[in-house]
Parts: sequence; structure tokens; C-alpha cells
Amino acid sequence: MKKEVWFGLSIMAMVVLAAFILLPAPAEMTNGHLGLLMLALVVVAIMLGFPTAFTLMGMGMIFAWIAYKSQNPDLAVQQTLDLMVQRAYSVMSNDVLISIPLFVFMGYLIERANLIEKLFKSMHLAMARVPGSLAVATIVTCAIFATATGIVGAVVTLMGLLALPAMLRAGYSVQLSAGAITAGGCLGILIPPSVMLIVYGATAGVSVVKLYAGAFFPGIMLATLYVLYVVIIAKIKPSMAPPMSAEDRIVPLPAFAQVVSKDVSNTVLPGLIGAIKGKRNAAVPMRELLSHLGIALLPLLAVAAIMGTIYFKVTAPLPVETVEGVVAMGGELSETSDDQEAESVSGLSEPEADGLQTPPGTAEVAKAEAAPAAEPTKEPAPAAAVSAAAETPAAQAERQPAPMSFWIGLASCAVALAIFYAYFSFVRLEIFKMLLGSFFPLAIMILAVLGTIVFGLATPTEAAAMGSLGGLLLAAAYRRLNYVVLRESVYLTAKTSAMVCWLFVGSSIFSAAFALLGGQEIINTWVLGMDLTPVQFMILAQVVIFLLGWPLEWTEIIVIFMPIFIPLLPHFGIDPLFFGLLVALNLQTAFLSPPVAMAAFYLKGVSPPHVTLNQIFAGMLPFMAIQVFAIVLLYIFPAIGMWLPEVLYK
Amino acid sequence: MQNLLLFIDKVSTWIGQFFSWLIVALTFMISWEVFSRYVLDSPHAWAFDVMSMMYGSLFMMAGAYTLSKNGHVRGDVLYGFFPPRLQAWLDLILYILFFIPGVVALAYAGYGFAAESWAIHEHSNITADGPPVYPFKTILPIAGAFLLAQGLVEIVRCIVCIKQGEWPKRGDDVDEVDVEKLKEMVNVKDEDIAKLDALVTAGKGTHK
Repeated sequence: MKKEVWFGLSIMAMVVLAAFILLPAPAEMTNGHLGLLMLALVVVAIMLGFPTAFTLMGMGMIFAWIAYKSQNPDLAVQQTLDLMVQRAYSVMSNDVLISIPLFVFMGYLIERANLIEKLFKSMHLAMARVPGSLAVATIVTCAIFATATGIVGAVVTLMGLLALPAMLRAGYSVQLSAGAITAGGCLGILIPPSVMLIVYGATAGVSVVKLYAGAFFPGIMLATLYVLYVVIIAKIKPSMAPPMSAEDRIVPLPAFAQVVSKDVSNTVLPGLIGAIKGKRNAAVPMRELLSHLGIALLPLLAVAAIMGTIYFKVTAPLPVETVEGVVAMGGELSETSDDQEAESVSGLSEPEADGLQTPPGTAEVAKAEAAPAAEPTKEPAPAAAVSAAAETPAAQAERQPAPMSFWIGLASCAVALAIFYAYFSFVRLEIFKMLLGSFFPLAIMILAVLGTIVFGLATPTEAAAMGSLGGLLLAAAYRRLNYVVLRESVYLTAKTSAMVCWLFVGSSIFSAAFALLGGQEIINTWVLGMDLTPVQFMILAQVVIFLLGWPLEWTEIIVIFMPIFIPLLPHFGIDPLFFGLLVALNLQTAFLSPPVAMAAFYLKGVSPPHVTLNQIFAGMLPFMAIQVFAIVLLYIFPAIGMWLPEVLYK
Repeated sequence: MQNLLLFIDKVSTWIGQFFSWLIVALTFMISWEVFSRYVLDSPHAWAFDVMSMMYGSLFMMAGAYTLSKNGHVRGDVLYGFFPPRLQAWLDLILYILFFIPGVVALAYAGYGFAAESWAIHEHSNITADGPPVYPFKTILPIAGAFLLAQGLVEIVRCIVCIKQGEWPKRGDDVDEVDVEKLKEMVNVKDEDIAKLDALVTAGKGTHK
């Protein structure tokens, strides 16, 4: 047999031996010691490779029987049976876990809608000017796609097929390419909506809604740190990530766009409007011009709609804290969707809108008027304004003037829009159209699912079901929905849900036995006896979880070990929500820590034969360091994670 | 004997796949309920109970199916390195030590649990006029029985492996990461990957 096998077996033997040596002699053993023995044995049994759900179930049953027997031998069997069936039934009717199959189903459907190819292509064209653009595009694509699907293996494999060849051809180093793909692919388990957070929420009794709100910014932060790292590397060592060559950046323009950009203007709005109004080119059909103008104006309309909604929300007589929440989130939303304006709306309701925004604003509105395509939007806006005006007298006294921050936001949106349209060339219009077909559907879906959960409009279950429905529609829209795809998604969903939920059945029986034996109390007194400061405890806990990440999967770590850590938290004054965010970040590293990182093996499976596992591992290490850095950042500035839940659910 | 085992395998798969379609029903049901509540303003009191029954039946009945496709999570850090015979021995021992007692107890206890519920015609108490829960509770012993049958098949698989030195083949099924299918999906061929090798080796030459 191989050396690894002996190494592994001897480690297990040592654990068992240590457990027996450290524990008191059998005669003096209390139930609590038995609980600790059970914990040591279960780690060994899991490492033996037997399906964990049944290891936990069997061992939990045996030790629960022992615990009951010590109290009342006559009733022990019946009590054990009752315990098992109650625990199993509580998992069957658990109202948190129910969203797992739904989110999993949504993930499989989206994966099969095959958006990733377009997404990657449009991303890397959109980012052509960023240093290390291919690697940055890889990370962003991974982050979005992995968030929507949550399937690490499929994302890494797909990106290995798409992005790795592209990066190698562009002369990127193998390490950097491999690191970007594996690190990016794992983001999906952290950024909500993720199954990991549901599992943590169900185990720790923390609201999944709060976890989602809390994990959003740490997830974004981690992705941003990855991107920053790649950009810096590309700047310092261009040999590892050379800039894109000119011919790679060329975006083929459709015929009409070539004509217009040459004859009228290379900027989209003047170009299209000029082509429609003025010197008409016979070669260019009107319909095409109008539809493109419509597409080009989408950002404007989106910002107009968002800012308009915010305006009425903000000025509505509402309790103060709600207003704050809305304002805060409004800033977020307008940032993500970028640009544009509620010019038409603000112009109507506030005649003397400040001068700053007027020049770009009026120009924009004037142009919008020129386009029939924009008419539908013009109408609702005044209508909304009028209806709001009708309401205003009644609520006049309470209705507050929009806060300064709103006007600042409005002005900055207007400026951003103006800049956006000033640089909006036909090449960018093509890229924008590609993004429209790949990036925006996914981003909107994720934000819609998350938004409804986080703002309390729907429960996670409802949002997950709507997300699955969205996945179905998305797959249908991309003409990928057929019986085979649906059947495969359904079967995979059943297997994944059965895996997670049976694990829950096993672990809830196991943790009941652990609690019955009083193992928890021994651990509590032991940890409290060490007299740790909260910081020390936190570091200890994270190191333990990090180490467990090597031999165990995240599901096992959460369902077996979180019930042990959670009861200790109140003593150290740590919020279980915050702890959960740290754990979620921490378990990310488990996916990237050699030699067990699954992501590396998936990538190896589709990479050219001369890319070695060692190269992939070497590429992952810097990203792992970033993850550790991110954990430290989150610990030092808890507001990164806690700000949003605190604002929303004070 | 062989035929019987294959038959059980098939039944587990069929039952599991049959119940997995509940996810589609669940999706539409909740979506409809959301629409009905927020748009039509007529929520249904039974919706919550029915949701959790669908979810519970889905994953419980898929347990045996998942087992037959080796889909339950394993700690395979070391297991993966073991030769097939050792794997089979370990599995066999642990099936007998943990799986059989655990699942037998679950199915037996589940039987009593469901029988009591049938006896009193139990209805859900989450809402005032809850739907009956005894059919749902009956899922527990049934799922346990299927799981047990599948476990016996797995034990025979272990014995076959111990005798032959390699694992008998499992029936085909969808994989979460089916590399060939994914390659097809994004139009990448093996030759393309092989061609890239030149870049990898060339890169090594110039940098070092």
C-alpha cells in the first residue's frame, strides 16, 4: 500500500489512542467523557470514508442509547427510538432547510442555460483596458456565475474550458490563470444566495435573512481583493499577465453601425439620432436604428426609474429608520446600475432643480423626446409625478423634503450618465448589447432574489422558489430548456438535497446524543477554564475550523462542529451572526488549501496535460493568503459584514 | 440473486427519480402562492404545510436513490487513496456497525410514529384547520425501508468488491460535473486542449 494510506491510518490510530489515554479509566468515566470519546471517534469514522450521514446516525443512536441507559435501563430503547424519529421528522418539516432544494434547482437550471460563454466574452471585452483583463474578467465571471449557480465543480470546469485556454494563449502564467479560476469559482459558496449560509443558519439558529444581508459585502470584498491582486500583479509583472493585443480587442460592428459611426458620429446618441433625423442613410433601416437607440437609452431609463422610486420613497412620510434604510440601499442600487437619472421626474416635481444637473439632463431629455422608443417611459414618469402631486397636499405637513444626500446622489448620477454617454461609442454599444444578453439577466436575478429576501418582501423560501422559476424562464429564454435538461436538473437537485438533508438527519441525532451525554458541558468548562479573551477564543475557533477544513467538507464541519462552538459564543459576547460570517469566509479557504482542494482537481481534469497539480496549487496559494487577509479585515472591521443587517433589522 | 439486487437498485432509482419531480411542483406551488398572496390577496392557510410536506417527501424518498448512485457525502481525503479491497472492507464493517442498526431503528420507530398518527387521524396544528399529516409521516418508515433495501445491495457490492478486487459498475446517471457534456456545451474539443500544451511547455522554456 501507498505511504499516504499508512500515514492516514496511523493518524487515525493516534487520535483513538490519544482519546483513550487522555480520558480517565473506564471505571471513572462519566457520560461527559463518553461524549468526548464519541466526538473523537466520529472524526475518525468520517475519515474512514463511510457516508457521513449514516456514520452520524449510527453513532448517535448507539451513544444516545448508552446515555438513556445510564438513566433508566428499562426505557432506554424506546427513548432512543423516539429521539431518532423526532429528530428525523424535525428535519423533514424544517422551514429553513426547505429553501435548499429550491436554490439548488435554480443553480442547476442557470448552469444549463449556458450563459457562461457569453458572459466571459462580454466581460473580457468590457474590461479590455484593465491590466490583467482576462484574469479580472475570469474572476468577475466566476463570481457572478458561481453566485447564481452555487456549484463549484461545474463553474471551475467550465471556466477551465473557456478561460484557461484564453489566458494561456494571451501569455498569462499558468499559476495566475489557475489561481484566478479556482479562487473565483469558489466565491459562489460565500456570496448569497448560498446554500452554505442556509445550512449554517439552520444549525446555529441564526436568521438566514440576516446572514444573507451580512455576507453580501464580505463576499463582494473578497472578489474585489482578488481583482485588486490580479491588477497589481499585472502592473508589476506584465510577463505574468500581458496586456491584450490590439486584434483581440476588436469588436466586429454590425453593418449599420459602421456606416453611422463613419458618416455621422462615433458616439452612439448623436450618431443614432443624427442618422434618424438628419442625413438619412438609405442603407440603414429605420427599425434597426430605433431598436438600438432603445437599447442605448436603457441605462438612462433604469436610473430614471430607480431615482424616481427613491424620491417618492424618501419624501413619503415614513418612520425615520425606514427612510435611512431606503436611502442607504438606494445609494447602493444607483451605484451598481450606474448612471442616469430621474431628470424627467425631478424636473417636474421640483422645477428649480439645481443647476449642476441641468445641462446633461436637459440634453438627455431632449434627445429622449426625439426618440419614439423613449415615449413609453416619458409617459409613466409624469403620470407618477402627477399622482404623487395629488397625494402631496394630504401629507404635506409630514412629507419631508428629500434629504441633501438624495440630491447629491441625483447629481452624481447625472454626471456619471453624462460621462457615460459622452464615451458611449458604437464599439461600446456592441459590448453593452453582449452584456445585456449575459451579465444583466444574471445580475438582475441575483439582486432580485437577494433584494426580496434582505428587504423582507419575501421569505427565503419564497424568493428561492421565484428564483427557480426565474431559472426556468432563463433557460427557456436561451432556448436551452428541453425535457433532458429539465430531467437532469431535477435528478441532480434530488440527489444534492438528499445528501445535505440526510446529513442533517444524521447530525441532529448525533448532536442530540452529544448533548444527552453532557459532552458539551465538559467542552464548555474546559474552554472557559482556559480563561481566554474573546480575541483569543475567536482566533482559536477559526484556527480549529481552518484545520478541520483539510480532512472534512464544509457541510460536515458546519453540522457537526458548529453546535459545539455556538453555545460558547454568548460567554465571549460574540454575535452568532458575525461568527457565521467569519466561518463562511474561513471555509472558503478549505476549498483552496492544498492538497485536498477540490477546485484544483476539477481544473486539472480539463487542463492541458503539462499543467501540473503543483502549478495549480502554487497559483491558489496567493488567493488563499488573500482569504486569510479578508478574514482578518472582517474581524478588525466587523462593520463590513454587520453594517447592512444592522441598518436593515435594527 | 444478482437479478434481485439489480432490481432493488432500479426500484430505488425509479422511486427517487419519481419523487424528485416534486421540486418542479414545489417551485410552481410556491410561486403561485406568492402570486396569490401578494397580487390576488388570497393566501392559502394550507400552503405552508404542503410546502414542507413536498420538501420532506422529496429528500427522504431520494435518500435510497442517492445511496445507489454513491451520492452521499464521504470524507474521502484518505478513502480515495485506499485500494478498492480496503475500501470495501471498511465500508462493509461500517454498513453493519452503523448503517444497518441506524436505518432499521429509524424505519421501525418511524412505523410506530406513523401508526400513532393514523390512529388519531392527526392534522397539522400550524394553522387552525391544517391538512392531515399522517400520509406525510408515513413517508418516514417507507423511506427508511427503501434505504435499508438499498443498503443491503450496497453490502453485497462490498462483498463482490472484496472477492474481485474492484468495484462493480454502478448504473449510469447524471453527474453534477459531467466533463464531456460541459465540453460539448461550450464547444471545446480535446484536440484544442492538447494544442494548448505547446503553450504551457513553451512558457516554461522562456521563463526559466
